[in-house]
Amino acid sequence: MTRRPSAKIAAYVGVAALALLAGLALGRPELVAVAAPLAVLVVAGLAGARDPELAAEVAVDRERALVGDQVTVTVTLQAGSRVERLEVLLVVPPGMEGPDGAPRTWATAVTLAAGEERALPIAVTCRRWGAYWLGDVHLRAHDRFRLFTWERHLDRHAPLKVFPVPDALWALVAPRETQLPTGSHVAPQRGDGIEFADLRPFLPGDRPRSVNWRATARRGGLMVNQRHPERATDVVLFLDSFLDVRGPTGSTLDQAVGAAASLAAAYLRQRDRVGVVSFGGFVQWLQPGSGQAALYRLLDTLMETQVFATVAWKGIRHLPPRTLPAKALIVALTPLVDERGVAALFDLLARGYDLAVVDISPLAHAGAAGGEWAELAGRLWALERETLRHRYQRLGAAVVEWPDALHLQQVLLEVEACRRRAGLAPR
Amino acid sequence: MPAPRRARAPLAFGLAATAVAAAVAIAPLAEVTGPLREALAWVAGLGLVLAAAAALRVGSLLGPALVVLLAEYTVVLVRRGDRIDAAAPLLGAGLLLYAELASWAREARPRVADERPVLVARAVVVAASALAALGLGVLVLLAAALPAGGGLARLAIGVVAATGTLALVAVVARPTSTRAPRG
Repeated sequence: MTRRPSAKIAAYVGVAALALLAGLALGRPELVAVAAPLAVLVVAGLAGARDPELAAEVAVDRERALVGDQVTVTVTLQAGSRVERLEVLLVVPPGMEGPDGAPRTWATAVTLAAGEERALPIAVTCRRWGAYWLGDVHLRAHDRFRLFTWERHLDRHAPLKVFPVPDALWALVAPRETQLPTGSHVAPQRGDGIEFADLRPFLPGDRPRSVNWRATARRGGLMVNQRHPERATDVVLFLDSFLDVRGPTGSTLDQAVGAAASLAAAYLRQRDRVGVVSFGGFVQWLQPGSGQAALYRLLDTLMETQVFATVAWKGIRHLPPRTLPAKALIVALTPLVDERGVAALFDLLARGYDLAVVDISPLAHAGAAGGEWAELAGRLWALERETLRHRYQRLGAAVVEWPDALHLQQVLLEVEACRRRAGLAPR
Repeated sequence: MPAPRRARAPLAFGLAATAVAAAVAIAPLAEVTGPLREALAWVAGLGLVLAAAAALRVGSLLGPALVVLLAEYTVVLVRRGDRIDAAAPLLGAGLLLYAELASWAREARPRVADERPVLVARAVVVAASALAALGLGVLVLLAAALPAGGGLARLAIGVVAATGTLALVAVVARPTSTRAPRG
């Protein structure tokens, strides 16, 4: 621990010395009577000041939590000698909130007797998704007369991942094409399945249970039913993380990550394979996978999504080919504010991918600036964004703007309707 | 401790310290009259402003505030003549009480919640220090009244005491680092 003298020592000793000298020079014992208590207090404090014997440990009760959950950080203190006053200060990372709504730090002061062990449970509320390090604790011990402080920093951090609460989605964007594995999407091809597709004449090798006896009776020859098989698909969630438009109510990146988590959970429930591409200053990807393990991998990847400011040009050629499988449905979550993200989506369309774009509106987060010119600029920006959406739609992508007030499910229904109108999705 | 109560603690301690400083600054004025009283009132006012600033906002002004209050008292003592001021221990205890309350006000940060035992222990130490200062002042005055050799011996004791006090500054006013225990 680092020992520091307080400013009080210098003041006391200086004033005592002056008073003693003045008392000597003027021959006034009253000045000595005034100075003596200050000097004696310093001497007593010096004689009694010992480095505190203090052991401290920080623990967090879990490693994963949801937004809104409370996590308990426990600081365990063990004193070998008496500590008159010990300040315990916990640094609360941005995105979390300490007890009593403390935004940045939370602190308390305790007294420890010799040999006493104290556990201080501190409830921290998770306000934003992300990967955190908790347990940044500063200790400051004081002696009885507050002449010295001893400081120590505990840097044994505990990892905590806070996941967004997934929205319950009952309808998703249906893919244009499916893959071979069995799943929940009705494939346009013919094969074994439940959904009726067509009738055709009986051929050797057809199963008797496929025979449609009513059609056979009407046509005078054996007719069999053809069906659409149920297949899975590959879904790639494409996050544009070049820029984050942040406002008092949230940010576009927060919305994108929350939506991606909800979509991933919903598609994986349908036995689809889901991958993620975080496309920004720092590019991250995860190849499509299925099952609960894939969900956790996806969430872990999403939690590490951040905006890294860079001016370097990035295209989708920076991505490994297997992250964007052929026939995959790509759901892009983007605020359409960075030209590199915008160009990447055009590139995906040009390569023939099945693309659905959820345009997370930055207008609400950017806030309304006052004045006539600001209003005009806002309207021009909205017009530019609308033009951009039309360009995507002309190239065959369904683009829907997501204002902050709407639920993700409403946006997905609108995307699906848009794709049906454009003939991109099965009716 | 709820947040609003925590936020009020530094202000309460600071105001208490300022009240004590006001008493210490005003009390010596009763001893003088005429133009000197007016001049000393200005000094007392300056001391009070410095004391309030030290207690409420700028902790580093504690030393200057004490020096100004002490200077005012010294002038009163010089004007007093050979008579011993029996109230000197009270003034010494008052100065110490002011300084302790002022440093407590700076120590009580609004964002730090002190547990009740911490506050009680601190209050006990401050009260005991003030009482001990009073007793010590009385002892010093009693000792001064005793016959203790010639003037040279007294001067030697005073010089040693003053030099020792100054040496304390050099010894303690430096940070030292000790290794933190593992665990």
